[in-house]
Amino acid sequence: MFSTSYIIKFTLVMTIIVALVLSLLVSGLKGVHTENESVYNKKGILSAVSQQLGKDINSMGNKEVQELFSTSIDQKVINLKGEVISPEDIKAKTGASEPVDIDWGKEIKKPENERLLPVFTYKSKDNKEYNILYVRGKGLWDEIWGYIAFESDWNTIAGQAFDHKGETPGLGAEIKDNKAWYGQFTGRKIYNPEGEFKSVSVVKGGVKIPDHQVDGISGATITANGVDEMMKRGLKYYESYIQKNKKS
Amino acid sequence: MAEVQVPVKSESSVFSFGKTERRLITDPISDNNPITVQVLGVCSALAVTTLVSKALVMGIAVMLVTAFSNYFTSLLREYIPKSVRMIVQLVIIAFLVTVVELILKAVNYPIWKELSVFIGLIITNCILMGRLEAYAMANKPWKSFLDGIGNGLGYGVILVIIAVIRELAGKGSLMDYKIIGPTSEYALNTMEISWLSWYAPNNLAILSPAAMFIIAIIIWVQRSRNPKLVDIS
Amino acid sequence: MSDIINIFIKSAFIENLALSYFLGMCSFLAVSKSVKTALGLGIAVVFVQAITMPVNWLIDHYLLGEGGVFGMDLTFLRFIIFISTIAALVQLVEMVVEKVSPSLYNSLGIFLPLITVNCAILGGSLFMISKEYNFAQSVSFGLGGGIGWALAIVAIAGIREKLAYSHVPPALRGLGMAFFLTGLMGMAFMGLMGIDPAAFK
Repeated sequence: MFSTSYIIKFTLVMTIIVALVLSLLVSGLKGVHTENESVYNKKGILSAVSQQLGKDINSMGNKEVQELFSTSIDQKVINLKGEVISPEDIKAKTGASEPVDIDWGKEIKKPENERLLPVFTYKSKDNKEYNILYVRGKGLWDEIWGYIAFESDWNTIAGQAFDHKGETPGLGAEIKDNKAWYGQFTGRKIYNPEGEFKSVSVVKGGVKIPDHQVDGISGATITANGVDEMMKRGLKYYESYIQKNKKS
Repeated sequence: MAEVQVPVKSESSVFSFGKTERRLITDPISDNNPITVQVLGVCSALAVTTLVSKALVMGIAVMLVTAFSNYFTSLLREYIPKSVRMIVQLVIIAFLVTVVELILKAVNYPIWKELSVFIGLIITNCILMGRLEAYAMANKPWKSFLDGIGNGLGYGVILVIIAVIRELAGKGSLMDYKIIGPTSEYALNTMEISWLSWYAPNNLAILSPAAMFIIAIIIWVQRSRNPKLVDIS
Repeated sequence: MSDIINIFIKSAFIENLALSYFLGMCSFLAVSKSVKTALGLGIAVVFVQAITMPVNWLIDHYLLGEGGVFGMDLTFLRFIIFISTIAALVQLVEMVVEKVSPSLYNSLGIFLPLITVNCAILGGSLFMISKEYNFAQSVSFGLGGGIGWALAIVAIAGIREKLAYSHVPPALRGLGMAFFLTGLMGMAFMGLMGIDPAAFK
């Protein structure tokens, strides 16, 4: 029927056409893709202060998000010692020009002395400052992460937004979807009156210390434990930076 | 009227749309449904039906891929060497799926993120290979295209039905519009309407086994109404 | 090392490709009518899964990734390359099995070529990429995922064989019951979700 040379020619021609069309499409859409990704990350950060914004972030268009982010958010990158990294160093170390575009999932896997952490500061219309910190940990299936916004005292949680890569819808995914659950964090404190770091724990069977505990999610113990763990470890990384800024 | 049309559209009009063409679309929606009758493409039916919006996007994506893969395969059907047939078909499908993915990523990034690997899994959706083998390799491009649309639609319709049930029962919402639930955010606040106070969203509906049960019930209803479809085995 | 055992146990039981993610359902439902054929397909899936996963990992890292031979990001070709690799490897496995063990080849029969379009195979490869496994982990994930899938289909086939003796409403016979069963098994497997694989260290 068909000779071997025909088969080879056929596959070659097809491969070339397919690769060509796809690479054209990819390079054509690249700008839109990177913008979308950036907007998605920015939405994640902004949703930590959604209450203070007084707007529904999800209904905003790309342009609106970009504008809101650039006018109201101040971005910083620090290391674990609490030192602020200069923009040139950020570029050299991560290749990203803006902290929001850094792949923080990769950053968290680096050894502690090289690891960078973001601090986003949101300035509201009535001139209040909220600092948004980033935590990342493991859920049941895959990674989970969150942006935690603090009042200017660096202690009281003003808002939060969790997200996940692949938690079970209806169970673990509640950390992102169920406002009644994640809303519990608002108003909790991470330091006790003596100034000791306590974080906010996720506990089963009723909250006993209202300042430092929230209720777990039934059916999603492991995801809830993951949130508990990442709140403890992730916020601890910021400790030296928080101490520096608290005093001043 | 159909009798007049039949001789006209035999060879001359390539893009005709008569009774046979209409059946190509309507058949897969009911009596020859890819999911409930042919049992093809169940994999993704479960993962993407937690929200109606996800199911809709998935349904449209699959419809586009079935239609165009059928069309291209049918165009090339006389040139494809038999020995590499499978790979050629898979490459056509994978190519179209990549195109759909790239476009979705540009148009609606959050949905793309939610669907994640399941967009890629359209490639192994058995509906596609099944239709290419059973229809497109033996029929004209335009008819194959319609067959693809029909099967894609039949798949999408079931997907959306499952998603409507799951989202309404599990989250009390449809397309993220909150309908029934225990807070004032919902249109029907069960805390205020006394005869609805027993109602609580059923989380089981969101979990993937629920999709299995819903498909089983759809099959049950469909086969009770149409005993021709009952398995002999 | 414990990490690799972890992934193996996790992928075989807890994150079971068939009963937690419901992947590969087409052949899962079609071939689970008798234990014998189910076992045949199961073994074939373990085979192919264990081979394709590491190969796809190598391809993704050394050909498509930015650090690869071409030095640019070609990940948009991932779907096409993965599915072609799977199809090619399935054919290769088929040829090798035919040469080495004709009896096994005969018992696997038509299942081998069918595996190409089994979502569990491609799904496994895509999950491996999205979970950012390294090479050793991907080997263990491939093997565990395959074994988990095989166990699931054999278990369902066992139940379906027994079901032949019960009175099922005619409209539910066969397919309908298979869906209900898979759903129930899926719920049972959700019970394993709470297991912490770290406990097996």
